[in-house]
Amino acid sequence: MTTQIQARDLSKRFERHTRRAGMVGAMRGLFDRASETVTAVDAVSFDVARGEIVGYIGPNGAGKSTTIKMLTGVLTPSSGEATVAGFTPWSERRKLAQQIGVVFGQRTQLWWDLPLIESLELLQHVYRVPEQRFRENFTMAAELLELGSFLNTPVRQLSLGQRMRGDLAAALLHDPQVLYLDEPTIGLDLVAKTNIREFLAHLNREAGVTILLTTHDLADIERLCKRIIVIDHGHIVHDGDLARLRDKIATERTMTVDFDDPPTLDDQLETRGMRLLDQTGQRVRVAFERSRLTAPDVLTALTEYGSIRDMSIEEPSIESIIQHIYKA
Amino acid sequence: MDKVADFRNDLAVALRIALLRIRGQMQYRASFWMQIVGNFFVNIAEVLVTWSLFQHFDNLGGWSLEEVILLHGLAMVTFSLGDTLSNGVQSVPQMIREGTFDRNLVRPMSVYLQSVVSEVSARHFGHLTQGVLLLGIGLATAPIEWSVGRIAYLPVIILSGTAFFTALFTVEAIFAFWTVNGVEAVNAFTYGGSDLGQYPLHIFRRGLRLIFLWLVPIGFMTYYPALYLLDRADPLGLPRAASFVAPLAALLFCLVIRFGWRAALRRYTSTGS
Ligand SMILES: Nc1ncnc2c1ncn2[C@@H]1O[C@H](COP(=O)(O)OP(=O)(O)OP(=O)(O)O)[C@@H](O)[C@H]1O
Ligand SMILES: [Mg+2]
Repeated sequence: MTTQIQARDLSKRFERHTRRAGMVGAMRGLFDRASETVTAVDAVSFDVARGEIVGYIGPNGAGKSTTIKMLTGVLTPSSGEATVAGFTPWSERRKLAQQIGVVFGQRTQLWWDLPLIESLELLQHVYRVPEQRFRENFTMAAELLELGSFLNTPVRQLSLGQRMRGDLAAALLHDPQVLYLDEPTIGLDLVAKTNIREFLAHLNREAGVTILLTTHDLADIERLCKRIIVIDHGHIVHDGDLARLRDKIATERTMTVDFDDPPTLDDQLETRGMRLLDQTGQRVRVAFERSRLTAPDVLTALTEYGSIRDMSIEEPSIESIIQHIYKA
Repeated sequence: MDKVADFRNDLAVALRIALLRIRGQMQYRASFWMQIVGNFFVNIAEVLVTWSLFQHFDNLGGWSLEEVILLHGLAMVTFSLGDTLSNGVQSVPQMIREGTFDRNLVRPMSVYLQSVVSEVSARHFGHLTQGVLLLGIGLATAPIEWSVGRIAYLPVIILSGTAFFTALFTVEAIFAFWTVNGVEAVNAFTYGGSDLGQYPLHIFRRGLRLIFLWLVPIGFMTYYPALYLLDRADPLGLPRAASFVAPLAALLFCLVIRFGWRAALRRYTSTGS
């Protein structure tokens, strides 16, 4: 297993000039500008192996984009080291650029006044992609991302979803080893999101492209990422399997039970370690600690209130897990 | 050697991008030509000023109308070519504000050339056309004793001046990396300097002359080469070689600006803004 992305104690501090209030404050600002240091990324370390898809998540302002900018060579870190595809991003930016694809979801990489197809053809020359490779990659992207209907439309006239698909195609024409995606599904409808997820999964599976992805849409994570790295206030607070995270954090499960007749519940439930979430007619939902009770335990306890027709168990949603991490 | 090959490829790609974008804009024929024609007339004021001057005086510091027109032509052609080439670079501050500059840093191509073609516009062709007309008239009517040397030097003057003005416009972008407010001051040098370059340098006060020769060497780009074309002696007393300094001064100036541009990029990659 070869390492494609390696970050070691990567930190980025920004100087932020603060404006003082009032006229006097403005006058003072002319002479000594008040500034504070913001540590956007704080000693972040991780390895990403070739062919992995890693979800890089965290609340607004956590430091996700800043990390990606350092790993693409856009920003020089304040301290720490990194290697991507064998290069140090900020000192070997041009060589690295040939090996990576970047999609900043909020901003297009395309030339806004040119038809999509011309933008893609220009990128062939920028990256010096041999004609044969270009044709293959272009055909694949055009087919999977369904670009056909708007290839000849100027980029400025594309809808957000079309533009994003165009940007994705643009990012992989040169067979990048590593793909960085900063919020690639932001603002898209469900169809476009699904299309993009399937495309990324395909790319990863068929071409072995390593993907580092930030998103606020946890459905992206569930579909694509086995591993997630959670960052908050510049610190990594979790790095590992999504499943393991669930075990570690989400200790409460929910059971939904349908009785034959509406049951009359009492506070015995609480003393047995269950929590009543709600009851509507025959349907009852209870939460329980997985460390204290098993599902059969709960079921046995509930049969005392009447005969049971149906039941289901819900694992905690990723949303609730992530929320839990952010709060901690 | 690698670097040279990279640069040649970058140039070819930049040219391709520029041509495609100009072609794209030409599809909106009316607005394309309107821009150019508009730009032609917006810039005509300078010429009218000179023309009205000559209604009252029959020379300007000893130079005839034809000779001043030649100088106008040289200054305008080089200025507008530089303006056109640096169009994209001039929009770098705006790209940084909007966050679109980052993409220039994640592609395997010179950041400067990417900036150059990030905003392509034929707008300044109006000004350029005017410059070409004036230069043509000046060359045809001014008293020039044509020789091989003079014919050969003409393109050198144009190229040097174009490179010089492109670099001068880059100064503006460089300053914008440090301060939002200082840019006005730099404008005084670009536009003020180009105005000044259209008139015989010796009519200006000493302070201005020194600035626009030794700090921002516009005088070496237009006035001194014109002295050679017109076979005039320098009233300011510099040696005759001053007429041939243009390419060297342009090169030096470009190197200084290149240094500044790199510092600006370093600043950007460390502050992200
Ligand atoms: N160029 C900059 N100058 C100063 N501060 C910055 C700069 N870029 C980012 N920051 C600050 O660094 C912190 C991290 O920002 P970053 O953009 O990396 O967050 P993020 O995790 O991508 O957030 P989001 O989910 O909103 O995109 C924030 O506090 C932000 O204000
Ligand atoms: Mg972000």
